[in-house]
Amino acid sequence: MEEQLSLLDLVFNASFTVQLVMGLLLLASMLSWYMIVQRFIYMRNARDEMYVFEERFWSGIDLSQLYREGNEKSADGHAILGMESIFRAGFKEFSRLAKQSGMDSEAVLEGSRRAMRVAMMREEERLERHLAFLASVGSTSPYIGLFGTVWGIMHSFRGLANATQATLATVAPGISEALVATAMGLFAAIPAVLAYNRFAAKVEVFSNRYDTFVDEFSGILNRQVYALRSRERGEG
Amino acid sequence: MNTASIYAKPVAPRIVLRPALATVLLHGLLLYVLTANLAGPERESVRVTPVPKVINARLVDISEFRPKPKPKPQAKPKPKATAKPAPKKSSPKPVAKAAPKPAPSTAKAKPAPKAAPAPKVEAAPEPRITREELAAIARAELARTVAEEAAAEVEATATAEEMAASYASLIQQTVINYWSRPPSARNGMEALLAIQLIPTGEVVSVSVLKSSGNTAFDRSAINAVEKAGSFPELKNLPSREFEKTFRRFRLLFRPEDLRY
Repeated sequence: MEEQLSLLDLVFNASFTVQLVMGLLLLASMLSWYMIVQRFIYMRNARDEMYVFEERFWSGIDLSQLYREGNEKSADGHAILGMESIFRAGFKEFSRLAKQSGMDSEAVLEGSRRAMRVAMMREEERLERHLAFLASVGSTSPYIGLFGTVWGIMHSFRGLANATQATLATVAPGISEALVATAMGLFAAIPAVLAYNRFAAKVEVFSNRYDTFVDEFSGILNRQVYALRSRERGEG
Repeated sequence: MNTASIYAKPVAPRIVLRPALATVLLHGLLLYVLTANLAGPERESVRVTPVPKVINARLVDISEFRPKPKPKPQAKPKPKATAKPAPKKSSPKPVAKAAPKPAPSTAKAKPAPKAAPAPKVEAAPEPRITREELAAIARAELARTVAEEAAAEVEATATAEEMAASYASLIQQTVINYWSRPPSARNGMEALLAIQLIPTGEVVSVSVLKSSGNTAFDRSAINAVEKAGSFPELKNLPSREFEKTFRRFRLLFRPEDLRY
């Protein structure tokens, strides 16, 4: 009570609507920060795993051996994400289709490519998860805060109507408390907008790399499937 | 063949703990920083302890002043009028007496002539006015002495705290002067008031932080502050000091040594 206009005082003495708005904004801020940190960790992990996998992939290792390693990894309870999961989807589809002898090489390639596309879409979806929430926090929470402020100011001016002697001091606390809502709205919105932009750019980078990988891998599969078919023709 | 998509369910290493911790930490830190910055140190509360007010009222024979025959019938009720407030309120005169503790000599000299001539001129119609007047006079005097003290202290390189302390004592004395003791007040009662001032010295709000348990006593304390209304002397205080000490302060109201 005796602190001069402490923030907590302002918050706890605010009217119900303003408190509701503040609570909402606090929730939005906490959730968006949770998601920011979570996305940050997720994307960092995805990037690291992508680098590791790319290095391994181009090291000249046998692809079926790489696939088996992945099997072991997933059997250990380790989730397979990102580029590796695209590789696994494509390779699994390829080996399944290539086993069927009547299969046209074009059809085999098309099938594995489709499987990789699907896996890539899923991966992008995973990367983009929660970003929509960040975007909507970033765009709406200033308005919510503004609503709280306008409401609080309305309230304090209505209280002024009954006072015979209107001094600044009678409205100032009300306005000050109302402005806290705007401050909170901005506090929630600014990091959310920044994070959204950053993460959206990152997702773009990821999807470009995945795209490139899909093309490169299809090239390799292309070579393999034609080699396989010509060998089959030679035998048959 | 394992065809179940790994996308059907959420990925195994769910990232929950670290973001949650980080979020809570961040908000807690922010809250702490904001409150620590704005709260400032714990305020000292100004204590108001009305001291025993000794009544040395002197019955003045009106005939001394007015030898006219006419006022004679009035002479009887008049002393009564002046004397009455004394036992009833126990503080009308002492207000002037107790107040000017810093400069007793001047104060004692002043109220006495003032109190006496008052009935001479027109005590009969409204003897109650004198009480308010006395408070106002005592207050003006107090303000002057404090201002003098402050000026003297400024010369003697007074620290801001000392100035604040002298203004606190001014507020204290002023409030005492305006306080009228409710009959149910007892020794040891304490009421803690929260007072809010603006830089012009006006009182914006008074509320009871800790009640004494006696509503009449609480109300009398609030009334005293409200009657004082404003402390224009505070305008002289540097605004930084004002914000630090007087924007919101607590007033501990604790009369001591009441006679009954």
